[in-house]
Amino acid sequence: MLKWVRKGLRAGIKTTGYPHTRESAPGISPGRPAAMLCDGPQEAGAVAGRCPTGALSNQGNMIRVDHRRCVHCGRCRQDHEHAMAWEGGYEWAGGRKAPGEMAAAFSRSLHIRILDAGACGACLSEIKQISSPYYNIHRLGFFITPTPRTADVLLVAGPLTDPMRLPLERCYAAMPDPKRVVAVGACAVSGGIFGPSFAAAAGISQCVPVDIEIPGCPPPPLALLHALLMVAGKTKQT
Amino acid sequence: MGPTLNNVLKFTDLPRMVASRWGDSLEIKIDQERQLIQITCDPEVLQDLCQWLFYRQGYSLATLIAEEAPPEWVMRYILYGDTGNGQVHVLTRFPLSRTKVPSISPAIHAADWQEREIEDLFGLSFEGHPKLGDFILHEDWPEGASPMRTAFDASRLHPRQESGPPWRPEMIVKTPGAFMMPVGPVYSDTAESAHFLLETVGEDVVRTIPKFFYKYRGVEKIAEGMPADHALLLAERFSGSSAFAHSLAFCQALEAICKIQAPPRARALRVLLAEMERLRHHTAAVAGICSSTALAVAASQTSIIEEDLLRLTCRLAGHRYFFGLNTPGGLARDLPDGECKKASEAAWIVLDKLKELHEMLRFTSSFLDRLEEVGSVSRKKAVAYGLVGPVARASGVSRDLRVAQPYAGYGQQTKFQVPREAEGDGYARLRVLFAEAEQSVNLIHQVASTLPAGPVRTAAAPTEGCALGWAEAPRGAAFHWLRTDGSGNIRRYRVMPPSFVNWHGFHLAAEEFAFQDFPIIMATFGLSNAECDR
Amino acid sequence: MTETGSLLLTFFIVCGLGVFTGGLPGNEKHAACVSIIGSVASLALLTASGIVLLSGRAFSMALWALPLFGKMMLGMDRMSALFLFITGMVFLPVSIFSAGYLKRYTGRYSLKSFAVFYFLLFASIALTLMAMDVLSFVIGWEAMSLLGYLLVNYEHEQADTTRSGMVMLLMSEAGTLAVILAFVILARTTGDMGFASLRAGAVHLGAVAGWFVFLLSFFGFGVKAGLVPVNSWLPMAHPVAPGNVSAILSGVILNLGIYGIVRINADILPIAGTGQGLVVLLIGTLSALVGILYATPEDDMKKMLAHSSIENMGIVTAGLGAGFVFLTSGHPVPAGLAFIAALYHMTNHSLYKALLFLGAGSVDMQVGSRHMQGLGGLIRRMPWTALFFLVGALSIAALPPFNGFVSEWLTLQTLLQCAVLPSKAVKITFALCGAGLALTAALAVTCFVKAFAMNFLGKERSEKAAKAAEAAPSMTISMGILAVACFLFGILPTYVIPAMDRVVQPYVHVSAVDQLVPPFFTVGRGNDKFDRTFVADFHKLGAQVGSRVLPGRGLVIMHRGGKRNPVIFAMSPAYTVAVLLLLLGGTFLIIRLLTRRRSLTHGPAWSGGLGRLPPEMTYSATGFSNPVRVIFRGIFRPVTVRDARETVANHFRSAIRKDQLEIHMIDRLFGKPIVHYGRRLAERLGRMHSGRVNAYAAYVLAALLAVLLIQGLA
Ligand code: SF4
Repeated sequence: MLKWVRKGLRAGIKTTGYPHTRESAPGISPGRPAAMLCDGPQEAGAVAGRCPTGALSNQGNMIRVDHRRCVHCGRCRQDHEHAMAWEGGYEWAGGRKAPGEMAAAFSRSLHIRILDAGACGACLSEIKQISSPYYNIHRLGFFITPTPRTADVLLVAGPLTDPMRLPLERCYAAMPDPKRVVAVGACAVSGGIFGPSFAAAAGISQCVPVDIEIPGCPPPPLALLHALLMVAGKTKQT
Repeated sequence: MGPTLNNVLKFTDLPRMVASRWGDSLEIKIDQERQLIQITCDPEVLQDLCQWLFYRQGYSLATLIAEEAPPEWVMRYILYGDTGNGQVHVLTRFPLSRTKVPSISPAIHAADWQEREIEDLFGLSFEGHPKLGDFILHEDWPEGASPMRTAFDASRLHPRQESGPPWRPEMIVKTPGAFMMPVGPVYSDTAESAHFLLETVGEDVVRTIPKFFYKYRGVEKIAEGMPADHALLLAERFSGSSAFAHSLAFCQALEAICKIQAPPRARALRVLLAEMERLRHHTAAVAGICSSTALAVAASQTSIIEEDLLRLTCRLAGHRYFFGLNTPGGLARDLPDGECKKASEAAWIVLDKLKELHEMLRFTSSFLDRLEEVGSVSRKKAVAYGLVGPVARASGVSRDLRVAQPYAGYGQQTKFQVPREAEGDGYARLRVLFAEAEQSVNLIHQVASTLPAGPVRTAAAPTEGCALGWAEAPRGAAFHWLRTDGSGNIRRYRVMPPSFVNWHGFHLAAEEFAFQDFPIIMATFGLSNAECDR
Repeated sequence: MTETGSLLLTFFIVCGLGVFTGGLPGNEKHAACVSIIGSVASLALLTASGIVLLSGRAFSMALWALPLFGKMMLGMDRMSALFLFITGMVFLPVSIFSAGYLKRYTGRYSLKSFAVFYFLLFASIALTLMAMDVLSFVIGWEAMSLLGYLLVNYEHEQADTTRSGMVMLLMSEAGTLAVILAFVILARTTGDMGFASLRAGAVHLGAVAGWFVFLLSFFGFGVKAGLVPVNSWLPMAHPVAPGNVSAILSGVILNLGIYGIVRINADILPIAGTGQGLVVLLIGTLSALVGILYATPEDDMKKMLAHSSIENMGIVTAGLGAGFVFLTSGHPVPAGLAFIAALYHMTNHSLYKALLFLGAGSVDMQVGSRHMQGLGGLIRRMPWTALFFLVGALSIAALPPFNGFVSEWLTLQTLLQCAVLPSKAVKITFALCGAGLALTAALAVTCFVKAFAMNFLGKERSEKAAKAAEAAPSMTISMGILAVACFLFGILPTYVIPAMDRVVQPYVHVSAVDQLVPPFFTVGRGNDKFDRTFVADFHKLGAQVGSRVLPGRGLVIMHRGGKRNPVIFAMSPAYTVAVLLLLLGGTFLIIRLLTRRRSLTHGPAWSGGLGRLPPEMTYSATGFSNPVRVIFRGIFRPVTVRDARETVANHFRSAIRKDQLEIHMIDRLFGKPIVHYGRRLAERLGRMHSGRVNAYAAYVLAALLAVLLIQGLA
């Protein structure tokens, strides 16, 4: 066992400084399209039309992005001449409630239950990363718990497939008040490319009240961290 | 049971042998270019023929496709052989009014779940299959509604029956006092949604009954009618942890329909990216095994490597999970040579770290104790269940699509080995993961240093037709079968992911074990429910 | 005639009345008759024995003289009174219980014969306990054995009932034979068969004869008490017996075995050697261990209770054994303690085991099954039965504040007193037995947690369980009486212990309580053996706390009077109850205060998100106790008779069957060899049957010679 201790020590500290400092290592986030002004409405329409999920819409020259629908397919920037503007960053989480409503429910630590409502695996993989050394949520007082009975936050990924509707309801009901629900990824937020259909809903808000949404396909670990900080009232809402 | 040297046939001998055995009751078409033999036969000889191909000629079952083509049903059984043996597509047709199909599962157990799936989704029933019933659709799904039938409206939520009969799985363990310990569907910290019933009499678990498809998103159904490049999003995103392999198989199916080939540079880059994905997946799988045995330091060190690889991928390909790269005809973007070189160097560093880790794990006896002789699958069972990927290779079945049915840049240009272990236990699976990761780094290096120049995309015009695309995904063989109409929209889409096949065999490993070994057996199988459920 | 005498006469007359009404035609009123007449008889017996127990005025009465056997005598000393008192305490609730319970047999079996047998049994038990000479004793004993057999065999239409009855009868007769032999040896030195003259004559008995008497009587009474290795009949008899008969069998009839052991080995022929005491101790401990080991994994509720009776009788016997050893090594005080502990435990066992059997009988009647596999969730259907069964389970699991705790604690404490014994080997034996009994206690908790949880908690595992209804009031009331008794005997040991002390005083010749207990222990009885400062020290310990409030001072203190370390042990169940209540109340209040401003929500149990949890997915009784089965595999020695993995089409697994056969350890070690050699012997003897007359004459001659030879040698 000693050798493992030594190995752990040798590896040194890898953990990000976020939220105290900005994390800027390359590859932490795929970035996302940003609202953009085009040369003309025709062109804007053409760019917006390339989006397979209808995340882009244009009003005159202006292209707006509905990040809740964007699945990071990159098609809007494939054509080099009229590529969509692309922004870096990761503080993507947004509240669905007024800022005042969210604050002060939790003062210290947060316990998180994760629920897979039909997620593809990428979101889940990013969620797994938040407790690994690079992101290490434990330092912030966040813990993942296996039972909803002690959970403050429900982190849900996936478009909400039909058989998961009941487990999600049960899980939410089993959590004590106060509780928060965070929708992780385009699928959970809007149904993504899967819902609504005969097998999946258009996001989890059709079943439980969502407090915070994290768009992205998948949202990178730092975006998840950002959302959790928001729940804990440790960051300003965007 | 598997192919022995003297009955491995050259692709060319097969039609003659089939004809001499079954004579004129069937019709044989040969497509030399695609190395494909298409046999149309009566339902009555189906089981015989498939059994002969599977057990005598050493073909593996790729997938089973039911297609509603008025006025008849077309059932397509796709089998594939080793290098040079090509593929055999066995077709059988019968009128739409008929709903009974002879089952091949009693002969080829690998078809068990696939037949159950078709039964559930199409409402066809397989005569001779000993176990049919709720499978993909759970108990609250109304009887008689078959979502894969063309008439079914897939756009809206189908009304469920409010109070279905309570779900009572049949208990296999008949010892008095036996009961079932339910696990899931929501369990553990970050596990995917799936339900397991562990049959036990108290201490040890005698047997495991899995109940899946909590994550069924109906990908095959909702793809119908979509433009091909929109359906590509589904192929890419139904299993995010092996997105590149699946989108690759999908694109290759489309390319086969359009009779085009991706340019050489795209084919080479596809190898590079697919191997990077495999490397990342295997690293994550090793991390999973380490954490299932509560080896915290090893788990976190491995997840550091995993995150390094994710960041590397993002720098190279613009997305941490390779989304948006594959496109029919090649790649959506070119990747600069320099970046590829850098990626290959980074992969070497990763390999060094993995090797060091493997070495340390090899000498951690508390870790090995929990893996050795845990969750064993015999070679015979692995063949019968048609297991694929690292799980099969740990049980001595080394068929690998990259070798057996070369695609993209695999084949003559690249050299690598397919690792194989004999024990079939948890430790064997771990060793296969490490060995495959090493081969992947090797391949990345080979490709990165010999990247041909040129475009990365061939234009593809929408064409009508059907074809099979395949790729060796990190978890094993993945098959995507497509039928498109004239405007390039999808008419029928069939995905057979490796997790589906291997979950079928999971219960072999999850028999007679101590309860606390359950997460370990799960981790060494390293399967995904998203991939399985689709 | 004294008041005791008239009360006893009343008792016998009432019993006779019961027999008479039982004989009357008609079948409807018999249940009520059994109930009312039985209660009256029990009350008469309780009063009669209670008077003797408290006042100590022994009662005796000569019946008539018979040639050859001498005078037949009835009498009641404190020892008899104690046993009679327990008998009454069990018969009273059981009689009430029968009013509701016997209804299940209406139309199927004759209630008439039940009533007749029931009252005859009651009378014969009383007769046995009051017999003061060999003849009355043997008559009572035989009658009791036969009637017990008839009642156990009541549901005679079931095949296994008859078979179990036969085994019971056979073993019981073997026991009786051994007891009679023991009496014959005892009577060799006296002409008279009265217990008093036997006692007087026993002084002249040699050591070898003493050993014979001990072994024969211990074997004979051991059969009745269900000690190993002659316990096999118990787990066979109980499941087939009606519920109320089971309660009597375990609550009263087993005690008669203990009575016999005490009567002979402590009274008539006091044990002379440490060896005999050790035999009793070891057999007791072994019985306790074997009993509980087989009780824990058992699925049939009544079988489980039967095995647990073996366990409890084992604990009682171990206590007696310890007492014998102390007594023979010249330590009468700990010996007295040990006897007190044993008798106290026996009393407790009668109470809670009767309670549990009545509970099991109610469940059996209301649900139609005794198998825990198919029960569950009954607390919602039968809340009163559940509550009383819980009291019984807590008592038998030796958890305070119920009675089982006090007596088991006393027994273990007494075993710890082995430090005074001279021999190392004996000390080690005591230590091992103490460890064995501690393990027994731990297993008992497992066993009864399982019994209560599997019957009353969780999900209903069968249709029948889901549709059960609460038992009739007469049944719940009778269980309630026993539950209250369990509680009272648990919190008032300071009243029980002195009473027991007076019972055993004639045999150990000192009063353990007077020797060990400071004066404040017994209410209102001065004892100036101890100086004031010493007593004041105990006051500081809290011995007088709550003396005004609590009914009797609850602190049990035993001490040895040493300056440095005066207290041997101290314990107070009464205070424990008070503290427990305070703690519970306090916690409740604190939680209420803390959560005043928070809302409380009730949700369904978290089941992993599963919609409906079918009963197949809840822990089964077998599953709960399987760890015990696995740990003690070496004792259970299961033999796999079938280990089949059935498949369809090679790979579709259709069934996994693993059937194991377990032969009870005792049957494996003793029963089987005896049967085996018995057969062999029979075959040999069979060969002697040549059919020739002179051969038989030769056998007779040889036998005669052998008898004469033995006589001459003796
Ligand atoms: S990345 Fe894809 S989904 Fe997102 S806005 Fe662009 S085209 Fe639409």
